[in-house]
Amino acid sequence: MSHKDALVSRAGTSLCILLVTLTLGVGSAFALTDEDCLGCHGDKAMTTQKDGETISLYLDADTFKQTVHAGNGCVSCHVEADVKGDEHPFPMTPVDCTGCHEEIGKTYEKSAHGVAMAKGDKFAPKCQDCHSKHDILKPTDPRSTTYPLTIPFTCGRCHQEGSAMTATHELNKHNITQNYSMSVHGKGLFESGLIVTAVCSSCHTAHDVQKASVPTSSVNRDNIIHTCNQCHVGIVDKFNKSVHSPLVTKTDKKLPVCIDCHTDHSIAQVHAKDFRLIIAKQCGNCHEHYSETYLETYHGRASMLKGGERTAKCSDCHGSHDIMPAQAPTSTINTANIVKTCSTCHPNANLSFTTYLTHATHNDKDKYPYLFYTFWAMTGLLLGTFSFFGLHTILWVPRSLIERLKAMTRGH
Amino acid sequence: MSKTPTMYVERFSVFQRFIHLLIIISFLTLAVTGMALKFAMEGWAALIADWSGGFAVLGALHRFCAVITFFYFFLTMILLYTTWKDSGKSLFGFIFDPEGLVPNLTDLKEMIGTFKWFFGGERPYYGRWIYWEKFDFMAVFWGIAVIGSSGLALWFPVQFSKYFPGYWLNIATIIHSDEALLAAGFIFTIHFYNTHLRPEKFPLDPVIFVGSISVAELKHERPREYDQLVASGELEKIVTRRAPTVWLQRMATVFGIFVVTTGSVLVVSIIITMFRYIQGGH
Repeated sequence: MSHKDALVSRAGTSLCILLVTLTLGVGSAFALTDEDCLGCHGDKAMTTQKDGETISLYLDADTFKQTVHAGNGCVSCHVEADVKGDEHPFPMTPVDCTGCHEEIGKTYEKSAHGVAMAKGDKFAPKCQDCHSKHDILKPTDPRSTTYPLTIPFTCGRCHQEGSAMTATHELNKHNITQNYSMSVHGKGLFESGLIVTAVCSSCHTAHDVQKASVPTSSVNRDNIIHTCNQCHVGIVDKFNKSVHSPLVTKTDKKLPVCIDCHTDHSIAQVHAKDFRLIIAKQCGNCHEHYSETYLETYHGRASMLKGGERTAKCSDCHGSHDIMPAQAPTSTINTANIVKTCSTCHPNANLSFTTYLTHATHNDKDKYPYLFYTFWAMTGLLLGTFSFFGLHTILWVPRSLIERLKAMTRGH
Repeated sequence: MSKTPTMYVERFSVFQRFIHLLIIISFLTLAVTGMALKFAMEGWAALIADWSGGFAVLGALHRFCAVITFFYFFLTMILLYTTWKDSGKSLFGFIFDPEGLVPNLTDLKEMIGTFKWFFGGERPYYGRWIYWEKFDFMAVFWGIAVIGSSGLALWFPVQFSKYFPGYWLNIATIIHSDEALLAAGFIFTIHFYNTHLRPEKFPLDPVIFVGSISVAELKHERPREYDQLVASGELEKIVTRRAPTVWLQRMATVFGIFVVTTGSVLVVSIIITMFRYIQGGH
């Protein structure tokens, strides 16, 4: 399309000029119509050079008409282009979305992305890096870069090993996208097609993305319970009554939040093998002694072998969100309830049966003298037997060799 | 060398060999499946669990072989009963028969004599059962009593705890697993060496599988038994020209070496693990 044709096209669309001017309040006495712009930018061949690269300046008007900004004229974003002359200034300053999306702009400015941007970090994402430029669609549109199924890929463009960003930025967490894909959320999304499942922005928010160490971050320890509760309704009520809740236990020690037990990106379904096999380890991060001694008993030993997800784990006996110490009447391991708890796996269990020490160790003489002395009596028996017969055997070796040689010389 | 054909005598009857076969199969399986649980945190234990199909399979095999163990214990009782009846002796006379399986003063003397022999003395005048063989036999009785009873408690913990405190199951676990460590460790090192791996017999003494040994071997190995058989005139009655068949010898060799190797690999794994624990301060 030549410039002459473009001028003709401009003249025929005076109604649109008025409409755009009134609607958007650009305030310019003269306003370009989209057709005016497309006069040049509708040409697929239109390109420019930037940093030695050829950049297309073509706009697919048909696609644009389907986007959320279809009703906005070009110049409502590209305000500098709204000049009377034939050519607008070039290059233009980047589009500023905050003209309309003011609140989001303020939020973004304070986010980790926005702060990095202000510092001149060339990898800090601008609006269009996540939302695209002209192809912005509603998040409910499957073609949108912010459609739930697409978000992990959108964020993963940077937050993934091997991305351009990792050349200058250290990743705080590793294999996020792989771990997410294997997690209950990722499987729910990619395998079951549950677009209501948690994606990156569900936990990290879309525009207020902050590092977990920032107190106001949605994934900060102090806020994560609220974040998870957005979907997992009701669990926080149970949790608030449990021994792990700061409302119940007043302590200087660190109390656990959702991610301490469930992990974050690799979060697994609680009945799944992946999760059941890490329970003892997760609880052991704080309850080290109980975790270690559990692993010395049958339940713990068997849990280390193939199929071990089936044996009793911490939460099978102690409960999970509503966990309470043994002396509390509601505790699953309180004397009033423990027979019922054991009976889940051991039908007809009785009170005597429940005195089995599920965290026993023979290394604690004061706490478990029976086990301590039994172990050392057995060890004494082993040492005694092997010492005698070991000596017997060692002394026999040279004699036996001589006997064999004798037999060979005799010709047997 | 000479033209006289090799003559043989039967050392183990078919019934005795069958019992020992049951012992081998069940004991080896019990040891492998049990040690995989005892040392579950070790890589070799994980391999056993992976190959077998998981800890539930190990548990099922373990219990199945426990049943075999109780079964061969029962068969041994029948064997002892019929042997006693055939001997025409009193019960006391049978149990404390100087040539029987119960250790006596002669064994103590022979043991001292054996240590002297190691240092160049005369080889003792061994009879039908040498003291280390008697120890093996008696150890199985002791082992079945201890491992069997504690094992039954662990197999039926709810029933057990109706009559005993539940925490006794923790004690039973220690006794069961350490006594089993003793049994497996003993069989796979001391018994294997005494019977098969010592240079005189290496790599295998097939008599427990083929049943008979040559008269020359009997005379050399167990001179007292040989002399007693000659004196009583019994030797002439039981001696035979029939050697163990070739296929029986081959099967014995293949099976025996397989079992000895499997047991040895397991015991080496355990020893390496134990050394690591001792070094690591566990």
